[in-house]
Amino acid sequence: MKKFRILIKYEWLNFRADRGLLILSLLTLMAGLYGIYYGNTEIVRQRENIADLAQLTEHNIDELKQKYPGEVEAGDIGYYHSTFAVNHPDSWAGLSLGQRDVNPYYIRLRLLNLQSQLYDTENINPLKVLSGNFDLAFVLVYLFPLFIIGLSFNLLSVEKEQGTLPLLLSQPIGLPLIVAAKLVFRIMLVLGLALLLSLIAMLWAGVVPDVRIALWLGVVVLYCLFWFGLAFGVAAMQQNSAFNAVTLLGLWLLLTVVIPALLNVYVAVKQPVPQALALTIEQREEVHAGWDKPKQETMERFYARYPQWRDTTEIEGRFAWRWYYAFHHLGDVAVEDLARQYQGGLLARHELVDRLNVMSVPVNVQGIFNALAGTDLPAHLAFMQSASHYHDSLREFYYPYLFKQVAFTHADYEKEPRHSFSSGPDLDTAFSGIVKVLLSVIFVYVLGVLFLSLKETVVK
Amino acid sequence: MQYILEAKRLCKQYQDKLALKDLNLQIRPGEIFCLLGQNGAGKSTTINLFLGFLKPTSGAAYIKGLEVASNLTKVKEYLAYIPENVMLYPNLTGLENLSLFSSLAGFEYSKDELMRYLLQAGLPAEAASRRVGGYSKGMRQKVGVAIAVAKHAQVLLLDEPTSGLDPKASNEFSELLLGLSASGTAIFMATHDIFRSKEVGTRVGIMREGELVDVLSAAELNANELEKLYLNYMHV
Repeated sequence: MKKFRILIKYEWLNFRADRGLLILSLLTLMAGLYGIYYGNTEIVRQRENIADLAQLTEHNIDELKQKYPGEVEAGDIGYYHSTFAVNHPDSWAGLSLGQRDVNPYYIRLRLLNLQSQLYDTENINPLKVLSGNFDLAFVLVYLFPLFIIGLSFNLLSVEKEQGTLPLLLSQPIGLPLIVAAKLVFRIMLVLGLALLLSLIAMLWAGVVPDVRIALWLGVVVLYCLFWFGLAFGVAAMQQNSAFNAVTLLGLWLLLTVVIPALLNVYVAVKQPVPQALALTIEQREEVHAGWDKPKQETMERFYARYPQWRDTTEIEGRFAWRWYYAFHHLGDVAVEDLARQYQGGLLARHELVDRLNVMSVPVNVQGIFNALAGTDLPAHLAFMQSASHYHDSLREFYYPYLFKQVAFTHADYEKEPRHSFSSGPDLDTAFSGIVKVLLSVIFVYVLGVLFLSLKETVVK
Repeated sequence: MQYILEAKRLCKQYQDKLALKDLNLQIRPGEIFCLLGQNGAGKSTTINLFLGFLKPTSGAAYIKGLEVASNLTKVKEYLAYIPENVMLYPNLTGLENLSLFSSLAGFEYSKDELMRYLLQAGLPAEAASRRVGGYSKGMRQKVGVAIAVAKHAQVLLLDEPTSGLDPKASNEFSELLLGLSASGTAIFMATHDIFRSKEVGTRVGIMREGELVDVLSAAELNANELEKLYLNYMHV
């Protein structure tokens, strides 16, 4: 143990004197701090926008009150009044933005057909899908492996190449102790930085202390250990530094770019999902056709589904709001199966990725971070579901006014349902992901020990 | 008397080359054994087998009666090694390098004591606190000597240790070896330097193509006779 401490001490002295490694560490720290700033800035921006939505709703109501100073048909209010379904970010969202800035985090809703409103802003920032976010999760998942590679690619080979290994091994210490000390020093350095950044991010974001703190830190530790395991495995093959660097960078490219891209293609082929656009077009055609269909036929179809409104007054004249909303409603009914397929398909695709991510630890860890931060696809789909339910509640609120022809008064605005939804973590996904990372870590270290024991050390 | 360094039918076979063939050798404490031979004769292979850097194909190497291959860590407590080209951590100073290797050998020295070892090895005082990256080969070699001396080893394994040293430094090195020998340290030195071998050696071995072809008493020959004998073996 004493010799181990001596080796660690001199690793520190060597590190301290190596300007290149100091600069690399500083750059990683700065990238991490920028990632924290970026993620939190994005969430602050979203919160500010969300705060503005409430004012917009109030403003809209004030305008309607001015436009309709007395009693009014509820159909007019349903048509002109906008309200919002909002996906409030979790306090962790700034650490891992996930899909929060590519999918809409609020949806403007009116009493009209739902589906076209749900997918009105299907993808608000397509370029981000390509480039990804520069949040802390990105820094940890994609840049920290490069930092680890930079520190460890010459773990053992540097001793051979600078010629110090013979003198070192002529002391009463074994090669495993030397490798272990080098590895432990680098692990302490990297974990110190990664955990420090994580804690800064948590404090900055003001996360509520719960089990997620332990899970996040645990994932960070395991993920860094995984990359150190790969570096150890490559070092154990006892090739030169250039070979190690190329091999490790190749593994980084494979695990962070090539496999995710192949997974993407495979999942798209294996689990086709109908386009939201197709759904919108079909629904739009159904709604537009509603104008030309006989009113009674439309109402019969509507009453068959919602018999509670059958005994209300008959449709007379060229236009009636309840007929208008009925064929809008039927437009949603027409694409019910397609909508279910779309949502179910997206979820199935996510679950398929969740099963296949064992092939790429970075993909798995990114998924865990998103699940902990409540920014993954299931969280978005839950929001869409919640928005859909909210729209149902709007219909339940307005339909009695429409079908029983009750006048809408200023006092009724207050009775309108409000939407409330906050993204939450998916701990089951996080737990199962962590188990997979743990198994990957064990696998790479066993492989490394095997390489080290099988290969005779060529000292010179 | 117990032999401190011993080889019994020691062989090392590389894929298509027999690098060391049936080496039998015994060295006593205080003895300086110089091994002469051309490049590739098997001198360094012999040293690497005593250091445990190589596993013997057959036979065994012993230090203080312990088989090297199965007591790797233990035997290294008894030996010190100076390679042909001492390479140190370039970002550390001479003092830090000496402190590291001494600590690993189990010796904790004060800065003054470390400095004394470096000065004794011939390193200028001003160089001791400079980074080794700026040292000449000779200066690094002197730090290597200081590391070996500070370890108080009972066996000193030297692989062309005076290569690159100027004549004065070589002479100082010879005196150092004689001093260590007088205090009971056994020294095994692979070298091309026939005259240095004659000067400091107790016995001189001649190695050719992996085989120890002759062992001579240094006291019974003068340098010219040794050189003639050596050249005869090399031209056979």
